[in-house]
Amino acid sequence: MVPPRSAPRTAKRTSTAHDLREAFDSLYRDHVDLMYRYASRLCGETEAAKDLVQETFLNAYRGFKQFRGEAQVSTWLYTIASRACLRMRRRQKGAPQRELSLEELVPTTDGEFHLQIPVDDLSPEEALQNKQLRQALNDAIDRLPPKYKMVLVLRDMEGLSAKEVGTVMGLNERAVKSRLHRARLFVRRELSRQGLAGSSPSQRADTDSE
Amino acid sequence: MTKRQIPHHPSRATTKPQRHRSAHCLRILRALSAFIDDELPRQICQEIRQHLGACPRCEEFVASLRQTVSLCRHSPAPVLSPDDRALMREKILAAIRQ
Repeated sequence: MVPPRSAPRTAKRTSTAHDLREAFDSLYRDHVDLMYRYASRLCGETEAAKDLVQETFLNAYRGFKQFRGEAQVSTWLYTIASRACLRMRRRQKGAPQRELSLEELVPTTDGEFHLQIPVDDLSPEEALQNKQLRQALNDAIDRLPPKYKMVLVLRDMEGLSAKEVGTVMGLNERAVKSRLHRARLFVRRELSRQGLAGSSPSQRADTDSE
Repeated sequence: MTKRQIPHHPSRATTKPQRHRSAHCLRILRALSAFIDDELPRQICQEIRQHLGACPRCEEFVASLRQTVSLCRHSPAPVLSPDDRALMREKILAAIRQ
């Protein structure tokens, strides 16, 4: 008996939907932790980070057909998340993006050359056991203007190459490196200004006034 | 004598107020991320190393920049709980169905 003409189509449609759902589940399972880490580094707050992850996977699901497998899946997801983050920020209508000039980031007083935080003779992991230091680092990164923050997070925290950061952000490598340098100098200066254990606020005030 | 363009090492100005030195430091500081990422040609790296050996402040500055990058690289990130992971998946699937 010849099956009704619609049967294969329905089966195909179901199978396609099923395949898509399976592909989504696998994508989510393998990359949700990576995306949450990236999102929380970009947004800080837990709820905002979760919103960004949901937006990212929703857009990824909708854009499955556009993904040609030329880029790594993770690079593709970083790109979707970065765009979603910038869109969410625009909706919040925050302060306009500030440019960082090299001149403002170069130290002018003696104290600013040295990182006045307890890191000497410690591995970074040991140094970061210090809650105050972790907080100071997070605060410094949070104060970065968004386009610099994104480059620093992708390159120095997520470990992407300059070329990959360029792909994600739609920039050439030169622009990535220029932003990265300014972002690092900014964080360095903020940490240096904060000065943690070993230099009390009064001592720092003395040093600054010299 | 020409005026120093950049007040880079103010406290040392009393001992050796050289314009060249300050401009040189600034040029080095501009290239430091590329230097610590090992992206510069060997000759420029050598030039920078020579300068660092002779300029304690720039050396201190490189050390502080390296420490900053190292802290960023090792900074811990919050981890998603299994419950949150499952809940978010449900929310995404619900949004897809809409």
